[in-house]
Amino acid sequence: MKEVVRLEKARETALFGSKAVGLGQAMRDGLPVPPGVALSGAVVEAVAAGKDRVIKHVEKAVHPLGGPLAVRSSAVDEDGAEASFAGQHLTLLNVPSSEELASALSEIWWSANSDSAISYRQRVGLFTRPSVGVVVQALLDPETAGVMFTQNPVTGADERVIEASWGLGEAVVAGQVIPDTFRIERSGRVLERTPGLKKIAIRTVSGGGTVEEEVSPELVERLCLEDDQLGELNRLADRCELVYGSARDIEWAFAGGTLYLLQCRAVTRAGP
Amino acid sequence: MAGVPVEALQGVPLFAGLSKHEVKQIASLFKERRFSEGETVVRQGSGGAAFFVIDSGEATVFVAGEEYTTLKPGDYFGEIALIDEGTRMATITATSDLLCYGLTYWDFRPLVEENGAIGWKLLQSMTKMYREAREG
Repeated sequence: MKEVVRLEKARETALFGSKAVGLGQAMRDGLPVPPGVALSGAVVEAVAAGKDRVIKHVEKAVHPLGGPLAVRSSAVDEDGAEASFAGQHLTLLNVPSSEELASALSEIWWSANSDSAISYRQRVGLFTRPSVGVVVQALLDPETAGVMFTQNPVTGADERVIEASWGLGEAVVAGQVIPDTFRIERSGRVLERTPGLKKIAIRTVSGGGTVEEEVSPELVERLCLEDDQLGELNRLADRCELVYGSARDIEWAFAGGTLYLLQCRAVTRAGP
Repeated sequence: MAGVPVEALQGVPLFAGLSKHEVKQIASLFKERRFSEGETVVRQGSGGAAFFVIDSGEATVFVAGEEYTTLKPGDYFGEIALIDEGTRMATITATSDLLCYGLTYWDFRPLVEENGAIGWKLLQSMTKMYREAREG
């Protein structure tokens, strides 16, 4: 069984984790996912253990992606519930090239074995050996990125809710900005456009890692999405619901004018 | 290179009674882990499942907020977590970039369960440590 595969070939959750398989399914269904490679939990552990043969194999598989790379954990949980480990396992953005991948994978493996992850596992009654697969993708350098709920996560209304900001979507996901908020009907009619307060943008740095950059004053409160982009996002929501089912929590990015899907999972947030 | 050099484990009392071959088996299960200067390595009261040996760099140990000691290359910490699934007994902060080798509970336990001789020697070492602690 192959344990290092192109993302579109990732099918077994028990090997690659739910994030990798979800993205693989999205690619097979023609959704605009950036190209990537899925690594099984066993491969990630072998790299963390310094097994040279495995490290070389992984580097070779990842090389065609070029660099820089986004290296995201894909928990191989006992019940396949990636969301239950959200925030516990590491994601490393802007790993410069495949040569630096081994130490990034080691960090991710240890993030699943860190004291905080172990404490979390004990609290939720999962004191079992962690296994963490990984998704390696070409890193985008987006103009705008954020999250989208295909159904209002607070009111349950049948409308898209989009939160967006400048640069990488991590600023929105980590709550580092007040994002622009948009609500769209399924028909595409825009119901709300509320500018946020986007004082910083997270950008990639040449040589690796990311940096918080100050946003120029005229952009802080300017809406970061045009109506045609909202239309594209609405169509992406339609396609994601068609593939995965209703009530999805989507991470997306516009890079070079093209819309990409970065993640799509079931909505886990509770309403008030 | 996979694992930790056997010599790095020779000063660890928990492994003192083991043969070189047995220590080698344990050494092969270690994985390299790096911490940045200022990073909290372990936190008192937190759950933990790994034991670490320091290869390079320094770290400070705090107990109940009070500075207790400094750890240097060759020093180790967290061995109790390998066995009892309990909480960390001290907070350790990297005072420089720190290169450690770590062994997790998940790797250690199967080895001991499958090898009664190692288990027995570890029990003897633990008992010796307990006796020494009682005798002050």
